[in-house]
Amino acid sequence: MAHIQLKNISKSFGNHTALTGLDLDIADGEFFVLLGETGAGKTTTLRLIAGLEKPSEGQVLIDGVDVADWGAAERDVALVLQQYSLYPRYTVRENLEFPLKPKIRRLPDAEIKDRVDRAARTLRIEHLLDRKTDRLSGGEMQRVSIGRAIVRKPRVFLMDEPLSALDAKLREALRTELKNLQIQLGATFLFVTHDQIEAMSMGDKVGVLNHGRIVQTGTPHEIYNNPRDTYVASFVGSPPMNLIDGKLVNGRAVMAPLNFELPFSGGAKTFGGLKTGAATDGRPLVFGIRPEDVYLESGAPVEARVHDVENHGVEKILTLRVGDTTLRATVPARTDVAIEQPVRFAWNPDKVVLFDKGSGVSLRHAG
Amino acid sequence: MTQIELRGVQKFFGAVQVIKDLNLKISDNEFIVLLGQSGCGKTTTLRAIAGLETIDEGDILIDGKPVQHLKAADRDIAMVFQSFSLYPHMSVYENIAFPLRATRKSKAEIDSEVRSVAKTLQITDLLGKKPSALSGGDMQRVAIGRALVRRPKAMLMDEPIGALDAKLREEMRAEIKRLHIKQGSTTIYVTHDQIEAMSLADRIVIMHEGVLQQVGSPDEVYSRPANLFVAQFVGSPVMNVADAAVAENAASASVTVGDATTSFEFPRALLSKLNGHAGGQLALGIRPEGVLIRREAADGFMAVETQIVEPLGSFDIVDLKVGSNMLRARTKSGFISGPGEKVFARIDPTQAHFFDKASGKSLEVRL
Repeated sequence: MAHIQLKNISKSFGNHTALTGLDLDIADGEFFVLLGETGAGKTTTLRLIAGLEKPSEGQVLIDGVDVADWGAAERDVALVLQQYSLYPRYTVRENLEFPLKPKIRRLPDAEIKDRVDRAARTLRIEHLLDRKTDRLSGGEMQRVSIGRAIVRKPRVFLMDEPLSALDAKLREALRTELKNLQIQLGATFLFVTHDQIEAMSMGDKVGVLNHGRIVQTGTPHEIYNNPRDTYVASFVGSPPMNLIDGKLVNGRAVMAPLNFELPFSGGAKTFGGLKTGAATDGRPLVFGIRPEDVYLESGAPVEARVHDVENHGVEKILTLRVGDTTLRATVPARTDVAIEQPVRFAWNPDKVVLFDKGSGVSLRHAG
Repeated sequence: MTQIELRGVQKFFGAVQVIKDLNLKISDNEFIVLLGQSGCGKTTTLRAIAGLETIDEGDILIDGKPVQHLKAADRDIAMVFQSFSLYPHMSVYENIAFPLRATRKSKAEIDSEVRSVAKTLQITDLLGKKPSALSGGDMQRVAIGRALVRRPKAMLMDEPIGALDAKLREEMRAEIKRLHIKQGSTTIYVTHDQIEAMSLADRIVIMHEGVLQQVGSPDEVYSRPANLFVAQFVGSPVMNVADAAVAENAASASVTVGDATTSFEFPRALLSKLNGHAGGQLALGIRPEGVLIRREAADGFMAVETQIVEPLGSFDIVDLKVGSNMLRARTKSGFISGPGEKVFARIDPTQAHFFDKASGKSLEVRL
């Protein structure tokens, strides 16, 4: 079990800067997800903690101790990668035993058997123990890889996109399994992914990484409902938050150049203390609204055309077209609309997030 | 005006039967999606219609005429693949014009047809470019253009957007749908992506291991799956399926899930609608949105304990422990805060499905 801290970490490879001034605090027993696009610096961060890379600047602390001089083995972390890297000629049992049988410090046989059996039970792979790993499915192989990490009882689990190579149904199932496993083990997990659904559904906390910087850290709920800037707003959520340029004029949201208006309740409630009025009136803004907070109604203020309908069975996601711009609305499955049909829509004014047009930062966070 | 019909089609690759007695009627202007996992026979079916594969038995009819002995070129069908297969040394214009070279059209005619197709696909400004200068989406637009320019009797598409990234895939999906509405040609589209199928199709044809499972509109397939395979293949998160025992009470019926000690209440009509199957080996299927949760006890609601919660942004998926089974419920975001909460659940009888466990077939119970 471990508390991990990264303090002001920077890392360059030649003249490419991978990470800049990174601060991260992962509590003991926390499921922390680092979310970012390819090249954002996720894997580098993970490798710094594992001791496979050295930071150009800053400190890595495990339980308060600076581990700069510790090698990867001494840090006692377990890595699970997207590629399974199992020994194909070995059985599942032999693969699980392998990390427990180093030349020095070999564990007693009874202890090895006990740990392997327990890991196999936890991951529900007991029936596979005598099978060769090249005869396993992708999901089974990834379970064995995780098993090989568990048997060592490491201080920290570091997982680099372990589910990305699996098909959608299996990913869905393993998400739940991994989360249950982490609760059961009470271990510290750092999980790296580019998939915002994985981040939202598994993380106690999510850190959003963009171009080597942490943009926002928070619970999935905070990240989703109160994104720090337009990057987070458009990265988290599927479909992403609608972002529309406009201005506030006398308590109404006036979209430009789109040329439509919607009521805006504003006030202290929406801004968490920040007053509307002088500060926001007339200033170039971006209005952020989640698709589920846009609704169709016959008397609603704005007319649009249905550009596309994405059918999820339980609900439909409409792409609405106003002028040249499109926005998304999530509507109940029974909503019967056809492509190019004119509809009228409104939004839930309480759910609108305002961003500064220039910096992209949410006014709630800028305050 | 093109109808396509498959009658008793069988196809073997060596000893492996990849298409088993396939019967299907496709009407003029219909958009049909063949949906299934890799290896289910969907691509082989498509290629057989195109004339790129022979069939071992049965008939393929286009407008009532058997075509299984005709070469691909004589069937007047256009095909679009996942790989773009453009001629790299030719410009976009020449690529689109290529299929018309063999026809006896004049230069002026060819020119006007190429331009009209380019206009439809909004690629007029790309006509002078080489394929190597195009993005993935544009390359696929050109490939579609090349298929359209011949005005074929039918368009066959094999995962045409499977190689594109998520955002572009959505855009192209909308374009393909709009193009179909505008051009109205009979289209058969192959994919393994159920959202794509649900969003594009007039009717979905679901295949599994060479056998047709169900043909129906997206709504039918989602809300009236014909068997357990379809039930669990379509929809995300996946439909809950559990062993169920049905019993008769004074004024109602009760459904016990797995080894649970309490049961869910159902209308008494369930017994008659099960039509003699009530005592048999049954499986209950219920989508997450059909599992209703509330905080206070109420008639027909059963006390259950929550397990992990997956926040997915606009909604949460909550795992409920019912005996040793897990039922996943869809709730408002933030409704349940975490594991270990005592709540009350019921199964919405109108959304419940009952399957014969042995055959996997739906018993078509509608309450």
